[in-house]
Amino acid sequence: MQRNGKKATDLQIAICGSAGDGTIAAGDMVKRAMARAGYKVIAFDVYPPEIRGFGKCISRVRVTSEQVFSLKPKSDVLISLDDSHAIPHVGEVKDYGAVIYEDMPVTMVPEGGHISGHLLSSHLPYGVPFRELSERVTSSARSRNIAVVGYLAGLYGMPRDVFYAVISDKFKTKPAVLTKMSIQTFDAAFEVGENTFRLDEGVLKPPPKKAKHGELVMMSGNGAIAKGCMDAGLDTFFGYPITPATTIMERLAVDLPKQGKRMLQTEDEISAISAAIGAGYTGARAATATSGPGFALMSEMMGLGTMAEVPVVIFVSQRGGPSTGMPTKTEQSDLNIAVFGAAGDGQRIVLAPTNVEGCYKCAGKAFEIAERYQTPVVVLLDLYLSNRYEAVALPAKNPFAANCSKPVGKLGKDQPYHRYALTRDFISPRAIPGDKGRRHAVTGLEHDENGRPNDHTHEMMSRKRHEKLHSVVRYPGITMSKRFGDKGKVDVAIIGWGSTFGEILEAMIIARDEGIRCAAMKVVLLSPLPMEPINALLADAAEVLVPELNYEGQFANLLTGTTGRAVTRLNRVPGTPMHVEDIVDEIRRLAAKKKGRKALAAE
Amino acid sequence: MSNIEKPVYLEEKLEEIQASGHLEYRSKSLPTWCPGCGYFSIVEGLTAALNNLSIDPDETVVVSGIGCASRFPFFIDTYGFHSLHGRALPVATGIKVANDDLSVIVVGGDGDAFAIGGAHIPHAARRNVDITYILFDNGIYGLTKGQTSPTSVLGFQTTTSPFENHDMPLNPLMMLLSYGASWVGQAYAGHPHHMAGMIEEALAFKGFSYLHVLSPCVTFDKTSKTYQNLGMSVRPLPDDHDRSDVMAAMAQAQKTDAPALGCYFEQPRPTLADGLNDIAARAAK
Repeated sequence: MQRNGKKATDLQIAICGSAGDGTIAAGDMVKRAMARAGYKVIAFDVYPPEIRGFGKCISRVRVTSEQVFSLKPKSDVLISLDDSHAIPHVGEVKDYGAVIYEDMPVTMVPEGGHISGHLLSSHLPYGVPFRELSERVTSSARSRNIAVVGYLAGLYGMPRDVFYAVISDKFKTKPAVLTKMSIQTFDAAFEVGENTFRLDEGVLKPPPKKAKHGELVMMSGNGAIAKGCMDAGLDTFFGYPITPATTIMERLAVDLPKQGKRMLQTEDEISAISAAIGAGYTGARAATATSGPGFALMSEMMGLGTMAEVPVVIFVSQRGGPSTGMPTKTEQSDLNIAVFGAAGDGQRIVLAPTNVEGCYKCAGKAFEIAERYQTPVVVLLDLYLSNRYEAVALPAKNPFAANCSKPVGKLGKDQPYHRYALTRDFISPRAIPGDKGRRHAVTGLEHDENGRPNDHTHEMMSRKRHEKLHSVVRYPGITMSKRFGDKGKVDVAIIGWGSTFGEILEAMIIARDEGIRCAAMKVVLLSPLPMEPINALLADAAEVLVPELNYEGQFANLLTGTTGRAVTRLNRVPGTPMHVEDIVDEIRRLAAKKKGRKALAAE
Repeated sequence: MSNIEKPVYLEEKLEEIQASGHLEYRSKSLPTWCPGCGYFSIVEGLTAALNNLSIDPDETVVVSGIGCASRFPFFIDTYGFHSLHGRALPVATGIKVANDDLSVIVVGGDGDAFAIGGAHIPHAARRNVDITYILFDNGIYGLTKGQTSPTSVLGFQTTTSPFENHDMPLNPLMMLLSYGASWVGQAYAGHPHHMAGMIEEALAFKGFSYLHVLSPCVTFDKTSKTYQNLGMSVRPLPDDHDRSDVMAAMAQAQKTDAPALGCYFEQPRPTLADGLNDIAARAAK
């Protein structure tokens, strides 16, 4: 895989400002415009818990001509909308990278407060009077972020038309004059940028040819979840606001009623999942979305979903924990609660997409699977995946099937319907309220086939609830695990899950370029684990590395617990995505260890 | 002719009961409650009401939480959802949001409702979810064998209040009236025919109807809410009670020493489904 070839575009822009500066909005314009132009885009915003005033916002956008899987540790451009916040990020600008900042006399800022004094000798400084530029066109400094975007576009030779389209789109519900003035600001700044000295390598190469299947759309992980829900025919959604899952509910609050479907904001997370289970019981497709603290409240109800065998889908966007933790920082520490969190033996299905496209797939398939297996399905995201934007090509045809419930066949005369009838695949034919002559009660008590409370059936029913899930590893139309990189024996195998897999894949590509034999595997189905492919990879690997964003190594524990194989853990909890370089270092170390053993054996 | 003048023969009575049709709503499972429990008459009352209103059992769901009262769904022949402690109301809300054609009846006890499930009642009431909530109040935790509940009276002795209960009991009727429930009534398990009528009225009401049923626990409460004590203190609501007047309803609800039976308050207003349909209509524009 040729990644950094001369012809390829790979430009990472970091825009840094104070909450309220329009930082995130500026990043949003850049990523949407670039996706529209046909580039591959990955973007991730970091924002403070405060709404406005002093918190730091950073929007990072990576624009490439070939598919990449994560952001780079070093950006090519840093744009400062607020020097006090941007100064600590000067170090993340690569050599011969650009730093674009508001040009003002150094005498106007306190000592050490001007970013120009912090640049390294290898940085290209671009001081531009954005405020003045903005005021000259619109008589207001409020369009300063558009001036910044215009300057950036001019400097790097980005096509103008896509920005016009994005700006018109952004202000389409506002008075037309706003669009006009914004485009004027953009143009004025574009011309300044175009006529500035620049290094040739900085100029963007033309975008790759348009993707074959449909147009690329810029989508966040949460946006893709909402889209997947809509395409799968979600009937009802119940939620309670919590960062970083709220945007799923906000999106569905708009989209569901348009289809005559229903969204209800409940009084807490317990009611959200209770109502979703109530709705799932009636045969409707039902879901809720939350983050760690809300998920903890839901665990008792998930147990009921398992016991009463009611389909429901729970989207969980993880953030730093335990307790309230770090609401606006990413982490992968709710794996344990997703897989194990409830009273009693209660295996459930857990899916964890690794990128935005995966969010769409998992969201839709989760409803099919929940119905098919009559059990709660958890879809684990994290803040990094929820808020990350990628240019996604959606399938032209809706890939999700409607009602996947096992129907009740014809019953003989006087043959009673049994809700929990034992069958060969352990899945019982399911009737729903309203079905004639199929009346029954469902319960969280241990019960017999007829749903009547009964303690003597516990052994049999426990088996039923576990056995029925086994075939989910082969559920069609969704990738439950996938191996990348070298085939056959490898020195290092990296196994990962969730958003961190992007960094893992990048690291593996770098390591392979260095000549290390390695393979990476993403595991999407975290419960029950797809043991066959995992065991095959473990058998091929001399060393196994599991990088994840939690302190305990929750996935490593799960892997070792189920396979008996000791693995090397790489755990980080900085609240930000893992550094690709950290993973590469660990791969190098493990590969050298293997080489050392070989040399020793040769002696 | 009064009953005293004409003897009642058991066989005749059984035939009469069979003929009424309400036994069709009973399941084959026999109730597991103690003999003498007030809950038996609630089963009778509900099945009679369902029968009188000709509600299709295939289109009916009875939802409960956990407790003695919550075993209810197993004893009647409709669809049933025996859910979690305190969570019957949100489960029922979900059922109604997903399928408004179903008749949904929520049953539960005082602990289930006002202790662990207290947070859900105001929201079901203010949203005006079109369900009937029948609350069996015996003022004690029966299934766990006799502990104090949020409606246990002051000075009540139980296994968890061996030195007498010092926590003020809640006044459920006051709560429901202030939560904006659109139908609030009270019945007594010792007056089964009146109760059956009240259940029928509550079921027929479109919107959130709350029926508080005073029901003695004959096993664990020998002193407080007994048939004897309740039988002597309950009274009908005054003839001139204005059920559209929330202040009058609250004045009656304050008289806890002599609980009044009947419909305290009734005020039809748009239900949750009406609101959701309105949202869909606006979104479609």
